[in-house]
Parts: sequence; C-alpha cells; structure tokens
Amino acid sequence: MNFVTLAARNLGRRKGRTALTVLGVAVAISLLFSLLSFNSGYESQLNREIDSLGVHLLAVPKGCPYEAASLIMHGGVIPKYLSAQDLASVREIDGIKIASPMLLHQFYVSGSPHVVYGVRINETLLLKPWWKVEGRFFSDDEAGVIMVGHSLAEKENLTVGQKIPFGPQREEFQIVGILDRTGEQDDQFHFLPLAEAQRIFRKQDRITTVAVKVEDVREISRIAGEMEKIPSVQVVTMAQITGTIMNLAASARTLLLSVIAVALVISAFGILNTLLMSINERAQEFGMMKAIGASGLDIGRMVMAETVFLTAAGGLLGVGASLVGSGLIESLVKSWLPYAPGGSFLFADPALLAFCLLFSVLMGLICGLYPAVKSSRTSPMEAIRGGME
Amino acid sequence: MSIIEASGLTKVYRRGREEIYALKGVNLEVQAGEFIALVGPSGSGKTALLNVLGCLDAPTSGMVKILGTETRGMKERDLVSLRRENMGFVFQRFFLMPTLTARENIELPLLFSRKKVSPGRIEEILALVGLQDRAEHLPGQLSGGEMQLVAIGRALVNDPRIIMADEPTGNLDSETARRIYQLFQELNEKGITLLTVTHNPELARLAGRTLTLRDGKIVGQG
Ligand SMILES: Nc1ncnc2c1ncn2[C@@H]1O[C@H](COP(=O)(O)OP(=O)(O)OP(=O)(O)O)[C@@H](O)[C@H]1O
Ligand SMILES: [Mg+2]
Repeated sequence: MNFVTLAARNLGRRKGRTALTVLGVAVAISLLFSLLSFNSGYESQLNREIDSLGVHLLAVPKGCPYEAASLIMHGGVIPKYLSAQDLASVREIDGIKIASPMLLHQFYVSGSPHVVYGVRINETLLLKPWWKVEGRFFSDDEAGVIMVGHSLAEKENLTVGQKIPFGPQREEFQIVGILDRTGEQDDQFHFLPLAEAQRIFRKQDRITTVAVKVEDVREISRIAGEMEKIPSVQVVTMAQITGTIMNLAASARTLLLSVIAVALVISAFGILNTLLMSINERAQEFGMMKAIGASGLDIGRMVMAETVFLTAAGGLLGVGASLVGSGLIESLVKSWLPYAPGGSFLFADPALLAFCLLFSVLMGLICGLYPAVKSSRTSPMEAIRGGME
Repeated sequence: MSIIEASGLTKVYRRGREEIYALKGVNLEVQAGEFIALVGPSGSGKTALLNVLGCLDAPTSGMVKILGTETRGMKERDLVSLRRENMGFVFQRFFLMPTLTARENIELPLLFSRKKVSPGRIEEILALVGLQDRAEHLPGQLSGGEMQLVAIGRALVNDPRIIMADEPTGNLDSETARRIYQLFQELNEKGITLLTVTHNPELARLAGRTLTLRDGKIVGQG
C-alpha cells in the first residue's frame, strides 16, 4: 500500500465524476497539442516550401507588392515586367551564382487557374537539382515543346509525346517531359522555354522576375542592396516572404490560442471544482488520518497525487485522441489559415508529446495546490466530533 | 510513572459571541497500564477532555504532559509524531477508508509513520481482533462490530502505549459492545493504557477506574 494506490482507489469511488474531469482535461490538452504541433509543422513546412524554390532573392518589378512574391511561389500574374537590361544589370553584381529570368503567365480553363512558367532550363536545373523527368527536359532553343508537372499531368491525363493545343493561339505543343512528383507547387505548373513563352504571350524581352541564388548566403544583404540600386527593380528576400506569410498565420494563431486558453481555464476550473467537492466530502476522513498519524504534508501529497493522476490521464487521452484524429483537426485548422502550405504538418513530434504530457502534470500541480493546502490543514477534531457542527 | 498528567485544564469553545466552557479546570493523572472509563451526561465535556489529552486539540489553559513531556508550545510536526508513536484512537463512527480492505485499513497508519512491520505482525493483529477470515473484505461488507474491530486493529498497528476511544460501542448492540470491552481488557493485560468514553455503566464497570464528568469537571471516581 502506498500513496499512489490510495489516490487511485479514491478516484475510483466516483467514477462518473472522475471520467468527466479526465475528459475535460483531455479536450483542453488535445487542443493544445494540435495547435503546437500545427505551429511547428506549419513553420517547417513553409520553410521547406521556400527552400524548394532553390532561390535566395527575387528581383521583381518596382511597385510590385510583397504579396506578389508569394504569387510567384504559387503562380499568378503580376501586371508589370522587368527588361533584359534589368537582367543584365543584376548579373553584373558580384557574388551571384545564378540569376535566372522567368516569365509567369496565368490562364483559366473552366474557372481553374493554369500557371505557365517560361524558364531557362539549365539555370532552373541548377536551382532545382532534384528535378527528374519522364521523357526529357526541353532545351532553351526548342520551339513547340512543353513540360508539365506531375499532378497536372495526372489531372488532365497528359502523356509524354502527346500534342496539345496551347496558348492564346491554340498552337500545337508537344509534351516532351512530365516532371516526377516533387511534392511541391511545381507539380501543378506548365513549363515552356523562356523564349517560347515570351513569343506566345507576346511579351518579347520581358520577364516577370529574376530568381537569384548567391554564392554565399552571408552576402545576401549586400547583394540585395546592390540589386535595389537598379532603378526598376525591387528585391524580395525569402526571409521577407516567410515573414509576410508568418504574420498572416500569426493572427489566425492568436485566435486559436485564445480559444485554447479559454478551454484550458475552463478545464482547470472543472478540476478545481471536482477537487474542492471531493475534499469537502472527505474532511472527516482527513481528520481521521491526522488522528492516526498523518501529517498535513501526507494529506496534501495524497490530494496532489489524485489531481496529477486526473490531469495526467487527461493529458494522455487528449494527446492520444489528437494523434488519432489529426487528419480531421488538420483540415479544420487549414481552413482557418490565409495560406496553407501543401503537405501534412501535424506529426507526432516526441518533444511536443512530452511537453503536452508535462503540461498536463503541471496543470495538476497548479490546480491541486489550493485543495492540497486546504485539506492538509484539516483538524483532526473534525473526525472525532464527527459532524457535530 | 504517570503516563498522562493534566492540571487546570480548561477548554472554551466560541460560537459567535457565545462562549461555551466545555472543560472548567480538570486535574488528572493516569498511571501506565491503567484502564479508565470516562462517563457523564451528554455535553459534560468527555469528548473535549479526550481530545485535549490525545493532543488532537489544544486546551485553552492548563497543562498536559504525555510521558513526562509538556505538550504546550510543541510544533505541529512534533505533536504528530508524539501521537503516532504513543497513541491509538478509536472512534464511535469507525472512520474506516471505504476503499481499503480490512487488512489495508489496519496497515494505513504505517503509510504515515513510514514504519515497516513484518507481514506476520498484521496477521497477529488480525488474529487478536478475530478477523483473520475477513481480512480481504471491504468495510461495506463487514458488520458494525467487525468494522470497530478493524478500527481497533488500526489503532494497534503502531504499537501504541495508550489507546483512546470515544464511545467505541455507541453504535453497537450490547453483545458486540461486550466483545469490544473484553478485547480492551485483553489489551490492558498486555500493558496498554486505555482511556475510553462510555455511556454504558455496565461496561464502565469492566474498567479499572471510572471518572465521572459533569459540567466540565471531574465530579467523582470509582
Ligand atoms: N466545536 C465546538 N464548538 C462549540 N461548542 C462545542 C464544540 N465542541 C463541543 N462543544 C460544546 O462543549 C460541550 C462539551 O462537549 P463534548 O462533546 O465534550 O460533550 P460530551 O460529554 O462528549 O457529550 P456526548 O456524550 O454527547 O458526546 C458541549 O456543551 C458542546 O456543545
Ligand atoms: Mg462526546
């Protein structure tokens, strides 16, 4: 016999009440766990996505808002362009490894957007060395050739060698390659040689952006500064893009966090209420224990053990439930967000699991403090007078 | 040697502005190995006296010495260990833990005193109170008399020198009450000092000495 069995038996006395309290804690902890794992998952997923661009800096036309930079990540059209001269100026700057021009265009087929990238293939492959292709990559001087992303090919039943009408003039283009799945936005896009894209969309010598990879990431700010000196160019660093999206996400997160804070407070009061009820019912019992040799500390420890039992059980249940139901929670959370990266970002991070369980124990220690102190002060007289009052 | 010594004990309870004198100057000396019955009408201060002697409650004035030690001014922690080392308590309403078996209830004080006893010792106590075959029963499955026997077993487990009982048979029929008092006599023969409150004059006669309280004072002994 020890304090743990004593506490466990006591909780078994009021099974319904114990179960409800555990459930309350479980809900709060599972919310907490979901938010936190979402949080770390969201950031790492976003960073991965930005890494997958393989780009450190983007030169965009002046006046192009930062939000446009995120359009570049997901496609979209910016109504302003850079010139070949701008590209040349960028290339003059020291410390740039790759400066690759791109033209973006977007058109709609039955309401859904199609994004076209005009690219220089060799430079693009340096930026995205992980690209693999079924069929082949086109070369920059070919005409009438196109490559498509994996998901796009799947969705539209496209195969290598197939000829499709494309562009405003419905010219015939041959699909020379289908990119292997990257798990990123690239899976959704059309790719053309830059010159072909400029020709069919009538944007001779125009580019939407210059994607820059630097030799040494420590030089990013110097290089960005020099690029800013080119009159028509505005520079967007990936850190800025991340920051913009993170800021948007932060407001959604604040909302979620306040919901969770409320849930935690409610469940804490639930626990406190249960405990106070239970120690009031047992005042005589505590008095008896004191009479037979328990110290105040013993009584307090027992109440504490019961509380931590309750909340730790709730924590386990909550974490377990949110692992099982993470898919559901994720789709719920994603619908709240201004920008949700692809891929899953709820995963069982062991550190987070440990944190949530620890948090539930901590919650028990805090909620149990007042009831424990209160019951430790029970006078042994209570038992002997036996409800004379 | 006197195991308990008390002089000039008063106990005043305050209920709002009203002051209730439960004890009005009690002097008492108990020798080791005595069996004392406290009798008297309801409200005469028997429970108040027992609580003060058992260090469960502090007197308003006066002095209590347990085994020669003054209890006044002792720290709560020291009082707890004084009680735990030397005294066992038995209550009218048993106060067993409903979630623990008879055996576990008897063992409960060991949890608080952090004492280890041999399993044989618990068997010995179970045999002494005659509950060997009910050891694994929960209090809800025991009769009132059996519950009180468990409570006595619990009072014995720390090997106290003194047992204090407040109307231990108040809730029991006379046959069972007699059995409890016979057990008290056995314990007394083993050298344990007993102080018990009772309303039953027949049982009081089994004790070695009877103290009669009236209105917060000892008015007679015999
Ligand atoms: N906590 C208290 N507050 C106020 N008055 C109290 C308190 N405890 C006891 N009293 C009063 O003190 C007096 C003595 O009470 P006590 O319980 O000692 O009597 P008793 O002899 O044990 O009576 P009974 O035989 O009914 O148990 C009574 O008048 C009682 O009302
Ligand atoms: Mg009484």
